[in-house]
Amino acid sequence: MGTQIKDVIIKPDAPSSLLLDKHADYIAAYGSKKDDYEYTLSEYLRMSGIYWGLTVMDLMDQLHRMNRQEIVDFIKSCQHECGGISASIGHDPHLLYTLSAVQILCLYGSVDEIDVDKVVEYVKGLQQEDGSFAGDKWGEIDTRFSFCAVATLSLLGKMDAINVDKAIEFVLSCMNFDGGFGCRPGSESHAGQIYCCTGFLSLTGQLHQLNADLLGWWLCERQLPSGGLNGRPEKLPDVCYSWWVLASLKIIGRIHWIDKAKLRGFILACQDEETGGFADRPGDMVDPFHTLFGVAGLSLLGDDQIKAVNPVLCMPEDVLQRIGLQPDLLS
Amino acid sequence: MHGRVKVKTTAQQEEEKRKEREKKLKIYVAARDACFSKRTDGVLDEEALQLTQQLLSSNPDFATLWNYRREILMHQETIKDEDEVQNIYEAELLFLESCLKVNPKSYGSWHHRSWVSARLPRPDWSRELSLCDRCLSLDDRNFHCWDYRRMVVRMSGVPVDKELEFTDRLIGSNFSNYSSWHYRSTLLPLLHPESPEPPSPCRQPQSSPPPSPQTQSHRVCEEQLLKEYELVQNAFFTDPNDQSAWFYYRWLLGRAEREEMISCVYVSREEERVAVAFSRPVNAQSVGLFLVLDGQPQRVEWRSVHPRFKQSPVWICDLPPGTINDISNEHNLTVHWTEKHTHRDCALYTGRTESWCRDTATDQELFRSELSVEKTSVLQSELQSVNQLQELEPLNKWCLLTIILLMRALDPLGYEKETLAHFQTLKEVDSMRSAYYNDLCSKFMIENTILKMEYAEVRVFSISDRNLTTLCHLDQLLLVTHINLSSNQLQRLPPQFAMLQCLEVLEADNNCIENLEGVYHLLRLEEVSLRNNKISTPADLKPLASCRKLKRLDLRGNPVTQSPDVESELSELLPSVTDLLL
Repeated sequence: MGTQIKDVIIKPDAPSSLLLDKHADYIAAYGSKKDDYEYTLSEYLRMSGIYWGLTVMDLMDQLHRMNRQEIVDFIKSCQHECGGISASIGHDPHLLYTLSAVQILCLYGSVDEIDVDKVVEYVKGLQQEDGSFAGDKWGEIDTRFSFCAVATLSLLGKMDAINVDKAIEFVLSCMNFDGGFGCRPGSESHAGQIYCCTGFLSLTGQLHQLNADLLGWWLCERQLPSGGLNGRPEKLPDVCYSWWVLASLKIIGRIHWIDKAKLRGFILACQDEETGGFADRPGDMVDPFHTLFGVAGLSLLGDDQIKAVNPVLCMPEDVLQRIGLQPDLLS
Repeated sequence: MHGRVKVKTTAQQEEEKRKEREKKLKIYVAARDACFSKRTDGVLDEEALQLTQQLLSSNPDFATLWNYRREILMHQETIKDEDEVQNIYEAELLFLESCLKVNPKSYGSWHHRSWVSARLPRPDWSRELSLCDRCLSLDDRNFHCWDYRRMVVRMSGVPVDKELEFTDRLIGSNFSNYSSWHYRSTLLPLLHPESPEPPSPCRQPQSSPPPSPQTQSHRVCEEQLLKEYELVQNAFFTDPNDQSAWFYYRWLLGRAEREEMISCVYVSREEERVAVAFSRPVNAQSVGLFLVLDGQPQRVEWRSVHPRFKQSPVWICDLPPGTINDISNEHNLTVHWTEKHTHRDCALYTGRTESWCRDTATDQELFRSELSVEKTSVLQSELQSVNQLQELEPLNKWCLLTIILLMRALDPLGYEKETLAHFQTLKEVDSMRSAYYNDLCSKFMIENTILKMEYAEVRVFSISDRNLTTLCHLDQLLLVTHINLSSNQLQRLPPQFAMLQCLEVLEADNNCIENLEGVYHLLRLEEVSLRNNKISTPADLKPLASCRKLKRLDLRGNPVTQSPDVESELSELLPSVTDLLL
């Protein structure tokens, strides 16, 4: 008896070259289907959806095709009295969408369109006594929100608004036996949370606290024979993990520990040749989320048709240079 | 959108689907708008509960609707008596159960369940625990459910040993259960601490996070450790390809932490400089590092060896000019690390140009953070077992790697040859990760070379022709005067290289070096040989300009020698160099 490795098989006729024009058309058209049922169902995450779409367009140097004014107006109408920003109009503010909104405004170089001081107050108000962050006033605690908080504040240049030492202490208390991180102290390691926590430690200048060799080993063991990466042991590969795992490896200076050519092959096979866009796995339905992380993953792998992406903030490097933000990476 | 297979459809099917979706959209939008307008009007009634229920059943990630429900429930609390409130919340739990059945991975549903459980007038934690049991029996890797379980366990004071038994059961039915192994790694140290502090048999609800198995020194008593080894061996003998048990085993084998201390103080008369090495990276500017010279506190400015490091294991400072440069004087130096209440002394005797004070390094002290040395006999018998498995499974990568780790814990130098052979096999059977194995092997070879250097009591570090792909442990080389890295696969001399504060001669011929960032402010460096590397432009040599004593530089066989005007550019960049070989 033995464990079957969970993986996918890439068919010989799967796409093997990058279809940038199709992806740009797919994203440009996505926002125009506003009466679509699926689109309406995903309203609760609209702000992040816009961030995914705009970031991938910017990485492909196609940002000009999106309607800047409409988007900036939309963000302004999503900022609440408390300073927080919601996914859409009528929804409640949350750290997740506050970060997405700030990221979008950074892409457009128009952070001043919203009340920045209030955003800072909102983020600050969500820090708990133990240093952790609640996602909103309803108190869900997660290391994702620690990342959202410091990422938002770094982009706004206001990191000193929070108790950074306590925030660090909390994130470090979530470190596990395998060197990875989970949602809360005691939670199992997960590549998405590891990305958030390594990103957090980069932004707070604490990468030396990681056990980088141990964590890097766990991360490079996410690569499966198909070349794709999974997010936890014994799980299927997924394009979004080519971002979470790869970005984490890049942050800890060990991106060369995976087989780049095989991963590139897997990501390319997840493209849809007809519609454009990327799916989680070859042959599945595409969406903007996987399209961003597919393209961003290829950028980290060094594809020169795509702009360089920053592994900590998942934004184009040129945007961060404009802001003057350069998060730490281990060498 | 995860795991949704794309299906080919005909035009007619497409049209039917479109109509169906249009209908669903209308119903959905109407319900959503009704919810939003009720909420805007401040309505907190049962009808609103119904409406949100309808929407959340199909879309549990619509977080704002859970918020609305909480507002309604909190309002109901104020107008109903305790029994009624209990009933309302019980109904909420039933509704949540149906949501979780449809979508067991919704953050919103699980968080709402935690919220409700915490507000229930008479909580029934055993019911919550059995819900977790059922949920985990359907998917033993659902991390939302595991997290909820941990909350229930904490709130209701389930004893740690009961939870350990629970993982026994899950692992017994399926060894390949990373979540259970993970849970054990958090439970074991609580139940069987090695320290004399009494174990708490029952964990009370607490606000501060439990210590992490990584950041805290977690030791397990030996008896439990032996049992644990047996359990893991059962797992990997049953299924040698299951990574879960191997990850856990590596943790079990290597839990020790290096003590935080000042590992070395070095003082140089000529440069009037002090260098301090720590057992882990610190920020000397913020940890309270004080220097006392001959009883007088000194105002010095600590800096890391390279501007890239805010945290570093090696820090340096310059003494005021004229303080120690008279060779006929004796000086006594003390470095205090106030944060850790520790210090280290160093005496600079008359006639001496330099001095240092440090622990005599041995293998056990130096590198045990990678793998703790339990009783040798225990590790020896572990190695025997894993070797047996390897005979059955000669190409099993997990087995090979574990053998290497055990050999290193037992006798790193004695097993060097076998270790190298196993690395070779590893790279062949798991070629996707060959770069990882190369780096790990480099690290072990560097450790071995440091050990050999220590035993020989010399300041020469020589590691040529070993396929090194990376440099590490450079903080251990603070006192090295000669380094030979020739004939390896190095691509760079990283910023950490600047920790070699005493370096006089650097040989790194026949590598692939293109970046010299770390050859920075090495004030004693006189000779650098970089033959046959990949240095391509004079600008790549810029860091060398900070090494004021550099006299001899050999760049033969590098692309840079082909660039026009290289000689005049280099003589301008490196005026101290009198012996330039191109």
